This record gives sequence, C-alpha cells and structure tokens, in this order.
Amino acid sequence: MGAVEWIRLIAGCAFLICGLVIFFTELFGLFHFRYVLNRMHAAAMGDTLGIGACMAGLIIFSGLNFTSLKLLLIVIFLWFASPVSSHVLSRLEIATNENLEEHCTIYPDLETLEAELSASDTAGRDGQPDEEKGGAL
Amino acid sequence: MLYHYIYITTLIILAVMLFACLIRAVRGPRVADRIVAVNMMGTMVMVMIAVLALMLNEGYLVDVCLIYAMISFLAVVIISKVYIGVYEERLHRTQSSDDAEAEGGVSDGSR
Repeated sequence: MGAVEWIRLIAGCAFLICGLVIFFTELFGLFHFRYVLNRMHAAAMGDTLGIGACMAGLIIFSGLNFTSLKLLLIVIFLWFASPVSSHVLSRLEIATNENLEEHCTIYPDLETLEAELSASDTAGRDGQPDEEKGGAL
Repeated sequence: MLYHYIYITTLIILAVMLFACLIRAVRGPRVADRIVAVNMMGTMVMVMIAVLALMLNEGYLVDVCLIYAMISFLAVVIISKVYIGVYEERLHRTQSSDDAEAEGGVSDGSR
C-alpha cells in the first residue's frame, strides 16, 4: 500500500470513529436526561452530525463515484428532514402533555418572554452590542 | 482484508447501540420517547446499510438506504400527526360526555 492509501485509511477511520463516538454520546444523552424535550435535544445531534461524520468516512473509503454521491445525498436529505421531524415531535409532546408545567416554564404570550430576555441581555453584557454594531457596520 | 475488519467492527458496535436504543423505546414513559428512540434506530440502521453497501461492494444498497431515510422521516411525521388527532378526539369525547352528565341528561339541542 502506498502513502495515499494509508492516508485514505487513516482519515476514513478517523471520521468513522468520530461518528460512532457521536452516536454513543447521543445514546448516553437519551438515557441520562429526564424528560422527552431534553432527550430530543441529544437525539437530534446524531441525525445530522453523527450520520454526517460516518458518511464522510465512508465517502473517503469509497472514493469518487456515484455511490459516494448518493451517500452525500442521504446526508443532505437528513439535514432537511431532521429539524422538521423534531419540530413535529415536540408539537406532539406539547399537545398531549397535560402537566407540562412540572418540566418547563411556559410563556402564554411572547411579549413576556421577549421583555425578560432583553432585560437579562442588557444586564448581562453592557456596552458590548454597541461595539459589535459599530464593528459590523 | 483490513477494510473488511473495519466494516465488521463498525457493524458490531452499531448493533450493540441499536439494542440499547431498543431498550429506551420499550421503557420510554411517553409516546414521544418511543418515537425519538425509533427515529434514532432508523439513523443507525441507515449507517449500517451504507457500511454493508461498501462491504459487499453492491451500489444498489445505497439506494435502499436513501429510501429508508425518506420512509423513516415520513413515518415520524405521520405517527405524530395521527396521535395528535387521536388524542384531541378522545379529549373532545370525554369533555362532551362530562357535559352531558352535568346537564343531567337533558338535551335541548342548544349545543
């Protein structure tokens, strides 16, 4: 095996192991958290990043052909599909849970939340937004 | 031959994690827990099919993987929507039966 083959093997293995570690983290989060909305936060990671890393490793193993193009297509499809399914699942949880207040704070109208967020924002970092705006402009 | 061992090891690790995910799907206290676990199992199965496609050197298995991704997404969306509908219908039925009991069986047709 030449040097290019060894580089391909090591890079592919690194991506594959990275993907498996991300899947294991996802599984750990699924057993560690106490409530569905927290578990969903951990589970959404594997749908995009975990399968992305695994498919990147397999694409490096496969080389440049139509198989690797289809693997890339699966990753791109999941980037679009995973947020939509997470959104629908959280709507299911919120619609069917009768005592949701035990697990999280509920704001009936958005203005209360926005007022609280802007108050904590100005209290947390004073003077920084003006500098950022000046730098961006 | 080295690639073969790499693929076999990946498949074994993924299979073990798949069983752990199945435990979560059985134990999950709420319906959303089970759907999250099943969705995660689908993601792992997709990686397993892709690894098999490279291991057996059969390109058409990747097409199977793509169709699996689409069907898994469709299943999650449809199960969620159907369960929301069933829950609201059940809630509506219990509320209307409670109202009928409160009215003492009098049905004057105003509702």
